[in-house]
Amino acid sequence: MNDWKNILIGVDNTPTSNQGVEYVARIAGGLPGVRMCLLHVYPEPPPDYYSGGGTLDSYRRDQEKKAAQLMKECDGILQRGGVNGKSISHEIRMADQKTISETILACQQEGGFGTLVVGRRGVSKAEEFLFGSISSALIHHAKQCTVWVVSQ
Amino acid sequence: MKVKELPPPIQERLREHRVTRGLRRQSRIFTDTTDFSRIDYGDIILVDDRYFLVVAYTREGRFGVDDQVKPWVPKVEDLESGEKYIVKLVFHETFDITLGPFTIPCYRNPEKEARVLELVRGHPHFMQGKAALDAAGNLVRILDIINGSRLDRVIHRGNLSHKEYFFTELPAILANYLPCVEGIGMLHDHGLRHGDIRRDHIFVERQTGLYRWIDFDYDFYLPEKPFALDLYELGNLLMYLAARGNYYIRDILADPSLGEEVAAAVDPGDYSLLSRNRIANLQKIFPYIPDSLNNIFLHFSLGTEVFYESVNELCADLGGALDQGWQ
Repeated sequence: MNDWKNILIGVDNTPTSNQGVEYVARIAGGLPGVRMCLLHVYPEPPPDYYSGGGTLDSYRRDQEKKAAQLMKECDGILQRGGVNGKSISHEIRMADQKTISETILACQQEGGFGTLVVGRRGVSKAEEFLFGSISSALIHHAKQCTVWVVSQ
Repeated sequence: MKVKELPPPIQERLREHRVTRGLRRQSRIFTDTTDFSRIDYGDIILVDDRYFLVVAYTREGRFGVDDQVKPWVPKVEDLESGEKYIVKLVFHETFDITLGPFTIPCYRNPEKEARVLELVRGHPHFMQGKAALDAAGNLVRILDIINGSRLDRVIHRGNLSHKEYFFTELPAILANYLPCVEGIGMLHDHGLRHGDIRRDHIFVERQTGLYRWIDFDYDFYLPEKPFALDLYELGNLLMYLAARGNYYIRDILADPSLGEEVAAAVDPGDYSLLSRNRIANLQKIFPYIPDSLNNIFLHFSLGTEVFYESVNELCADLGGALDQGWQ
């Protein structure tokens, strides 16, 4: 089991993601020795992106610019919750030939994170079948870590 | 390029061809297929160093809609060998499909179809063909024609009752369908999708009886569940084959052998996960469907607690049901 104080927080532009960040700040914000990594994973471009003249570089630049703004907002939430800015790191990745949940888990394994945190907005059965549920996938497939799922 | 610049044997074949004999203009030669709408009956597409004379166009209809000509998919004849092919020209199209309350963005993706064709070369359960670039860099797909019939038409031949069909014909149909499903699993294992699994996208080859998938150029964008739509449609097709049709409440009520009693027994969980009002729990309509087969259908119902995560899981269950058989 990895060190639980090494915390990976999956973030995106949703209210539930923000709630997850706020929750972590409340639970672990004042604890010594805590390290937090804010992770944003974005999907590969849709199949028609290239035929419309787009390039992978321009897609990545656009996504990373948006993610940088997101990171800034999440940093603010954590620091207002008492987390030392020096203990926060950022990771932005494209889900390259992988699903988003697989990419999160790869990052968790590589970084030896003992806690993985995501928000969950709650989806219907049909929605989960077709579009997937990242929190469900993480719960089912995570290893050597605890998964915190913060619901709406 | 003009016709007089073609190699003499090709010119001769063109001159004598039934298509050009009835043509009131000279054939044009297209090395650039970008504007496919300009290419017409009797014209020649020059690609892969081969001269393809356009002899007809393919048609396709969505169910309940009249067939429409697909101008980007001409039927052609190789003027050197005399072999007939279907040629698919690049046509980028984006559209949404609606499944129950959801909308899924779909695309025509010629590059994906070319990759699938390369992967399935020699595979008995897939349409065969190759891709080649035209002079403008368009990815043209040259497809072998499958001499046969659509699967959904094959299963409706004959006048058997459903029960007779189920016991005498369906086992062999599903034994042929299973390797097709396994073929889709193989695509997924290589990160590729079929993209447009429908009951008229399996052809039954007349000579061999083999079932073969056709049409791989659709693609969809589901980043977290990239194969879910293929999987769902495989389940839909399986249910269609087993029931020899799709069943909605109105169909039950309209059938005197079923009627209100059967309709009243249908619970909310018996409906399809994504197709509103379509019944997935077919055992309620046809009680002789064995559990081993019906349990597969239930994985695609609103009442399911467990989804199939992969086509391989579906294959394992379908193989098991076929092994057990039904008498």
